[in-house]
Amino acid sequence: MLLSLQNLPEEILHYILCHSHPLSAAALQQTNNRFGDVTTSALLWRHYCQTYYKSWDRRHEIQKKFAGSAPSVDWKALFVARYQIDGSVTRLLDSILASQTGRIEKFRAVIEFGYDAKDALLENSQVQWGDDYLARRYYASALLTCLHRSIAIPEWVKLRRGEAVSFERALGAFDLFIPESGYGDLDEIENSMAHIVARFVASHPDFDSLNPREKALRLASWLRANEYIGIEPGREYYSLEHNFLGMALNTPGHNSLPLISAAIYCHVAQKLGLDAHPCGFPFHVHVIITPQPGFDMDDRPVPGTEQAAPMYLDPFRGARETLVSELRDQLIFLGASDLEQSEFLGKSFASEVVLRCSKNILNSIHSMSRHSDIQASSVDFVSAKYAALWSSMLLSSNLQPVDLRHQLLWLMELFATDFPSDIFLVEQYIVPLFNGLFEHDILKNLHVMRAADEVPKQIRRRSDKNRNIHYKVGQVFQHRRYRYRAIITGWDSECDAGEQWMRRMGIDRLEAGRHQSFYHVLVEDRSVRYVAEENIELILPSISDLPRSLTTIAGKHFKRWDDTARAFVSNVRDEYPDD
Amino acid sequence: MATPQIILTSSDGVDVAVERTVAERSVLIKNMLEDLGDSGEAIPIPNVNEAVLRKVIEWCEHHKNDPPSTGEDEDNRRKTTDIEEWDQKFMQVDQEMLFEIILAANYLDIKALLDVGCKTVANMIKGKSPEEIRKTFNIQNDFTPEEEDQIRRENEWAEE
Repeated sequence: MLLSLQNLPEEILHYILCHSHPLSAAALQQTNNRFGDVTTSALLWRHYCQTYYKSWDRRHEIQKKFAGSAPSVDWKALFVARYQIDGSVTRLLDSILASQTGRIEKFRAVIEFGYDAKDALLENSQVQWGDDYLARRYYASALLTCLHRSIAIPEWVKLRRGEAVSFERALGAFDLFIPESGYGDLDEIENSMAHIVARFVASHPDFDSLNPREKALRLASWLRANEYIGIEPGREYYSLEHNFLGMALNTPGHNSLPLISAAIYCHVAQKLGLDAHPCGFPFHVHVIITPQPGFDMDDRPVPGTEQAAPMYLDPFRGARETLVSELRDQLIFLGASDLEQSEFLGKSFASEVVLRCSKNILNSIHSMSRHSDIQASSVDFVSAKYAALWSSMLLSSNLQPVDLRHQLLWLMELFATDFPSDIFLVEQYIVPLFNGLFEHDILKNLHVMRAADEVPKQIRRRSDKNRNIHYKVGQVFQHRRYRYRAIITGWDSECDAGEQWMRRMGIDRLEAGRHQSFYHVLVEDRSVRYVAEENIELILPSISDLPRSLTTIAGKHFKRWDDTARAFVSNVRDEYPDD
Repeated sequence: MATPQIILTSSDGVDVAVERTVAERSVLIKNMLEDLGDSGEAIPIPNVNEAVLRKVIEWCEHHKNDPPSTGEDEDNRRKTTDIEEWDQKFMQVDQEMLFEIILAANYLDIKALLDVGCKTVANMIKGKSPEEIRKTFNIQNDFTPEEEDQIRRENEWAEE
């Protein structure tokens, strides 16, 4: 008998199918009875589930299934369900790219798949070519980060409700706002921490024989020596990335501000049995370590019910104990009352730490914008600011309505321009915060957004009436006066911005005044502006001349770069069909 | 210095001389040599005929300097059906020989060769409809119309 595919042993066929695409298994199953068992085996489809999909929504409890501790799993059905979700996500994304109308509902449909949508979004967010690669990357990333935020925000909501949330989850939530941190899940951040704990334990076999004070110092010196905490010399202290726990864990040098360093220290210390907490000392977060009841930090018994004195450390600076008298002196110098002193020297709650991190982020952005190197930051400052605002809105308990309103305005503005796919998060978590305050304003805002989304864009054709519009959507220019580079995203045949704005901007002082064509533009600093034609000086760059920040957000309105025309190809033809 | 040679005897009784280091790409032979010591006697390979054995040895010769597999690539075998150019040419044989090589690689425990063989078959199946697969591998359709219909419906998801 001639050897053929049909009489290969089951084991070999299984091995071939492991190297094949699942669609091949489905096709082979339909050829002959012989392949019935091998193409439908649980083992094979479990293998496909494991190798083809990395992210699974929580509801699957996939880890339990892979570990074999779930009752019988229909692996093929699971794979097929996941495969179909992938198809749906890609179709929804295609449809989001195809029209500016009805996007909100499509966003919702994608987000509702939860982490099952993640693999498809990730793939689309990394496409390098194709007819609409810029738009595809932009919207896939927008949805991806929205998914991440839908995991992060509930952690802060729990804190708000007074539920316990660990420091690393509460701080890790910031990382989920920042695509650059590379984390997609809070468990991953916990795993990174567990890795540090394991390394420390392995290198300190004698650790248990030390007293608490020695332990605390030994840990601080090890973390510092291994550069898990602190900032390397020569780096800008206020660098935005130093505010993110996940980024600190994930990058070489592990640079972090004192707050993050303290959080890393406390996590490891707690795992090693020390009662360590961040302490909310002004300007510089310290760590407070409390001895076991009945003993002091040197492991000597203390009489009665007296609590022995805690010790203070500044792990950011290394293994040096900070005397409480020094800290008190500083507080007295600052004019703190006795009550304030005990507050500043006590343990911080996770919600306080989050708020402090939020403030630090805003400070970093502020400090960097003064040094104008904010565009060069390795962390997208808009996402960082958005994270700071969300956490602050959810956790500030003592804000004045005026301040609250102020923050709300910022948040709503950012949300509307950069994160419209978050509308469900805003409805679910922000609206209830303003119950009885100015809830209606927000709802009205959201209502306007939805209405604008549902109505097809008004079509703007080129005709004899607007011959004066010389430039086209997608062209790149430099502002004659302010020298920034920007892309044209829309136009009007004359200034359409309202009397008040025109007066404030001195439009009538322009050479051609208000009766010249005006352009909506997307600027390299990510702002959106409205520019008179006389200020536009077309440039013909190659795409590599443009900053990455600009080409990234270009995807919001454009399909791709056209290297011949040296301009972006419009994805808003439903609005400007002739451009 | 010439490396020591050993003799393998194929299932059809032919003695084939091969460098020991080359033969040791086969975990089966390597273990045998370790267990038995090198007595200089021919090692019988009862499941592999001369033609296939020579082909397998040719592959082992070419790959004798490859780093040993670490077992870590277990997960990477998934989607990659990439095969290096030399191996692709090597696998341009008739189907029967291809399957013989796969069986021999499995028996002799040469994982990398087994992988290349299985990937080659996987590539032959890839992207084909059931009917095209039948044609390629000369498979008879033995389903009743009802069975065929049911299995097709079961796999409708794959046709979207």
